[in-house]
Amino acid sequence: MEEREIGLALEMKRVSKRFPGTIAVDDVSFEVYAGEVHALVGENGAGKSTLMKMLAGSFDDYTGQICINGKEVKLHSPTQAKKYGIGMIYQELSLARPISIIENLLAGRLPRKGPLLDKARARSQAKGLLAHVGLDLDPELPIEDISQHEAQLVEIAKVLGNGPCILVMDEPTSALSREEVERLFQIIVQLKNRGIAVVYISHHLPEIFRIADRVTVMRDGKKIATKPIGEVTREEIVQMMVGRSVKEFYKRDERKIGETRLKVSGLSRFGFFHDVSFEARRGETLGICGLSGAGRSELAKVLAGLDRADEGRIELDGAEVRSGTMADALSRGIAYLTEDRKHEGLALRLTVGENIMAPIVDRLSSGSVFSKAKGAPLAAELIGELDIYPPDPERTVGNLSGGNQQKVLLAKWLASKPKVLILDEPTRGVDIGAKMTIHSSIEKLAREGCTVLLISSDLPELVGLSDRVMIMRKGHFTREMGFGECSEESLLLAANGALGAEGGA
Amino acid sequence: MADDRSLGSSSVGRLVSAAGVYGIAALFLAVGALLQATGIIRGFLTIQNMLNIVDAAALVGIVAVGMAFVTYSGHFADMSVPTTMGFTGYVCIELLRYGFIPAVIVALAIGLLIGLMNGFVVGKLKANPIIWTLAVNYVTMGVIRLIWVNKQIYPDMRGSGQKAVELFDNIYRLRFFNLIGLPVVMLLVLVVAGQFVMTKTSFGVKLKLTGSSLRAAKFSGISVERVITTAFVLTALTATIAGLAVTSLSRVGAWYNGAGYDFKAVTAIVIGGMTLAGGRGSILGVLGGSLIIGLLNNVLTLLGVGTFSQDMIRGAIFIVVVGINAKSLRSLGRDDA
Repeated sequence: MEEREIGLALEMKRVSKRFPGTIAVDDVSFEVYAGEVHALVGENGAGKSTLMKMLAGSFDDYTGQICINGKEVKLHSPTQAKKYGIGMIYQELSLARPISIIENLLAGRLPRKGPLLDKARARSQAKGLLAHVGLDLDPELPIEDISQHEAQLVEIAKVLGNGPCILVMDEPTSALSREEVERLFQIIVQLKNRGIAVVYISHHLPEIFRIADRVTVMRDGKKIATKPIGEVTREEIVQMMVGRSVKEFYKRDERKIGETRLKVSGLSRFGFFHDVSFEARRGETLGICGLSGAGRSELAKVLAGLDRADEGRIELDGAEVRSGTMADALSRGIAYLTEDRKHEGLALRLTVGENIMAPIVDRLSSGSVFSKAKGAPLAAELIGELDIYPPDPERTVGNLSGGNQQKVLLAKWLASKPKVLILDEPTRGVDIGAKMTIHSSIEKLAREGCTVLLISSDLPELVGLSDRVMIMRKGHFTREMGFGECSEESLLLAANGALGAEGGA
Repeated sequence: MADDRSLGSSSVGRLVSAAGVYGIAALFLAVGALLQATGIIRGFLTIQNMLNIVDAAALVGIVAVGMAFVTYSGHFADMSVPTTMGFTGYVCIELLRYGFIPAVIVALAIGLLIGLMNGFVVGKLKANPIIWTLAVNYVTMGVIRLIWVNKQIYPDMRGSGQKAVELFDNIYRLRFFNLIGLPVVMLLVLVVAGQFVMTKTSFGVKLKLTGSSLRAAKFSGISVERVITTAFVLTALTATIAGLAVTSLSRVGAWYNGAGYDFKAVTAIVIGGMTLAGGRGSILGVLGGSLIIGLLNNVLTLLGVGTFSQDMIRGAIFIVVVGINAKSLRSLGRDDA
């Protein structure tokens, strides 16, 4: 009970977890105080997720000790973990899509009146839980009818409904817009004031400096350090995460920008974006900045031939492109890297090699006979260039870490040797190491003359990589900023419509 | 032996499981021999009976090899196979009076049209494959009964029809070296061709991508509609071939000629190691699965087990195999279907 007085909500003492061939968590000690927000950072594969899965009761064969509120507990099943007040909020939503918010929120504890569901009480309980996270939605809507960020908040409400004393949040902001992130932070502060211990996992270091009290860095399954947030800098954290010092994050080379390659005029898809016009040149990286819902991805999908435009004209190297299909756009050299890696980007069950060769099956075939051997050197080269780990084309993609999966996704489009590459959130949710590799690969691509359209919510990324940035707001291009004038602040203001020049492109 | 995961990390494991199918077939053979040795059944280990087994396996196998493309594409099965077989059989018999070749060509053309329609509706309009093909099966059945007013039909033997009927009879009865029937030869040709198409052609690679993740395939610039349509066309064509063979065997156009081949083929496919989730399995495995179905029927028949009980046993085996398959995938952490 001694620990209780000093307020340790969670104490993991020298815990380890082995998988065949690797030690995912190696002799780690980790403590969180009640009422503390404790950030847990590390590259993908550093062992953060395994450590938290241990806490969620996913393993029955970990070694070491776990104490909750000073009492030693065995967390061998998710039910036990829930019983001890551990709440998990995962990056991937666990909500059942076709059923209502009420049923998701109150699963397993729906209020009853005799044998029947007490609908009025269920409604009001659900409303109350939603209000906790600042949502005012009709609780009878099915999950699939609300937006992804609303679903994320519903998920949080659901976990809070179980009354946890320790709450683990794994990348909770990856699907949220800026305002929603602010709302989430307010919720976290409230939880903190109620004495709940919050473990906050994020790749997004600025968030950690905003919200965390202490930070623990993991690397290769080991704990590197735990520090009060006031005593470290961003650079120090990155250095601890990657194990080497990160010099200049965005090193800008001389670029040779050539003649116009892509010309878009008056392009509209009704309801999504309107009268969009721009030009992009050879070797140029054109950033597209906007809040979620501004029409960025919809524009990308039209350019990639996945959707049809209602109006307007697209020209590639002076010739009009009327792509009805993605296959058609691809054959002309327009490639699109989706923001949805798991469903649209990769066939997770197949191998790295198979995924890389997917867009070029026809090019690797003579007649209709496919030659894997013809694609093998290219796959090997890309695996090397992007430093994909493990460097084995025969590995199943689904078993790779998120960062490496994202590299495979990029490799797939590099393999298609595009003239125009549209990147939609190319580094969302990946670790610093993978991010640096992906960035240098994008720069190399631009140097080689490819036109890159970069859609990103990561402002430093946009500022660092783009030659120009177009601001998109509510379906219109509102403003353009050259390399000199754009900064994180100016982009943010413009995307929110605070920086004049409304309407004109 | 070539196998479908030649690009995959677990190719050795796959090879073992493909070989496993033939192990099970050998086991059935041994059980049959044992039953004969102990006097429970008679006439199992005769050349004639072995030929019966292979002939029956050939008919199931021809359907299964085609349908395997639909399964591999992640669209489970084509339930319109039974009436495709029946309908094309009727048409062929009806048209034999105009000559053998025209009759077969028209039958194949009808099969092709059914396949194109299924492929378009499932691939392009995204209908549920099971429900749609089941509906097509019933509609085709209605068409058959409407046209032939519920009658079985016999070939017209008059005049020049005679020669055509002889040729038609031979589809099932022609035997090479007095042993190997034409359906068996067709099956082997289809297996070799199917295995090649699935593993070595650009269509096969696209089919695997489509079966593994339809959206990822689409977002890789693959025309998934075309891939799915091709899979349904291949199924309908092999069903037509099997339909002609069955009709040739019975010498009569009858609505029930293809009955049961849908489920027999799916069972052969899953026993052969192809998963219903799509993107995994091989044609060589499906051949093994068809052999097992042939052996099973034969042993059960010799044991005096009735048709209905046989259906029950096949159903039970199907459930067990699909269950084991799902469980082993889950334990490998691969069940993302």
